[in-house]
Amino acid sequence: MASTADYKDRQFLAVIGDEDSVTGLLLAGIGHVTDPPDSQKNFLVVDNKTETSAIEAAFESFTEQRKDIGIVLINQHIADKIRHRIDTYTAAFPTVLEIPSKEHPYDPEKDSVLRRVRRLFGE
Amino acid sequence: MEEMGDIDHLLEQYLHLLHEYTSLRAELNKLQAGIYQNLARANFAAERGMRYGQDQYDDRMQASRRVVALPSSSSSARPTFEVVKVEGSDTAAAAEASVSKSDEAVASEVQGTIREEEGDKKEEEEVKDSLAKETKPKSSEPKAKKTIDPLRWFGLITPMPLRQAQAQSFQAVEDIVPKLVSINAEMAEVEIEVRRARKKRAKAEAAARKSEDMASKEEITA
Repeated sequence: MASTADYKDRQFLAVIGDEDSVTGLLLAGIGHVTDPPDSQKNFLVVDNKTETSAIEAAFESFTEQRKDIGIVLINQHIADKIRHRIDTYTAAFPTVLEIPSKEHPYDPEKDSVLRRVRRLFGE
Repeated sequence: MEEMGDIDHLLEQYLHLLHEYTSLRAELNKLQAGIYQNLARANFAAERGMRYGQDQYDDRMQASRRVVALPSSSSSARPTFEVVKVEGSDTAAAAEASVSKSDEAVASEVQGTIREEEGDKKEEEEVKDSLAKETKPKSSEPKAKKTIDPLRWFGLITPMPLRQAQAQSFQAVEDIVPKLVSINAEMAEVEIEVRRARKKRAKAEAAARKSEDMASKEEITA
């Protein structure tokens, strides 16, 4: 069970996405860079050259290492690259939410929430 | 029989949540599509070589929208999420101004060009004001960091589509995302309850079968 202490410091949204997705969300003012010397960003811009290991490292940093992230937004097509990590992630905090990207519209088949629904109804 | 009713009730509740989840999803998809379209329009109209993207991000950015997890009103341990504007920063006001401006713009796109000019003038004034404020001697909190409206990363005069994208992004981040996340948590909670109720029912059924067997055996021996 999650205690209040688990989530009261989790005040940032983090994003893992392609450039347009990150730009769009940062426009709303969710971007944050911590004080130097760490200067940790709460977003990762993923392009064709980004290694899957870098995506996985960012996901791990946002979900496990950092204690100040409350919600992780990730493009669905990027989540596909680390699907095993997403599907086995069960912690309540931070919450992971898959979002569509420009070139990859939202696919309900891949949505982890709807997959849970199917499992509950025994499909 | 009672457990059956419990499970039905939980499943009904679950389906309501699912319905809400899917409609919020649809809304988020629409907003995201709008954001991408507006960004594309801004990039299309931009000067050669200019792209509204990561090259212009401010490396010292501070979040002006933050997550607040409120303890849930029900007995469950999962909190409900909200995304709020950080109070006491310059940006809060500036950001709000640009939202209302953008909203206006969406409402009357026909008069777009005139309004854009007006808007730009206003914004220039706003920026001048904020610059004036910045040059003033620092107050009692010298280290209080200012959050800057992300639009400013891309210049003083930003194109209309970019401002529209920002307005849509505000809506997605402040309104839809926290609701989706809260519903997701609530659904997970109900799933656990359903599984628990099913287990209880299975146990009760097994116990009933056992006692039936015992009874029939006793009959045979008698």
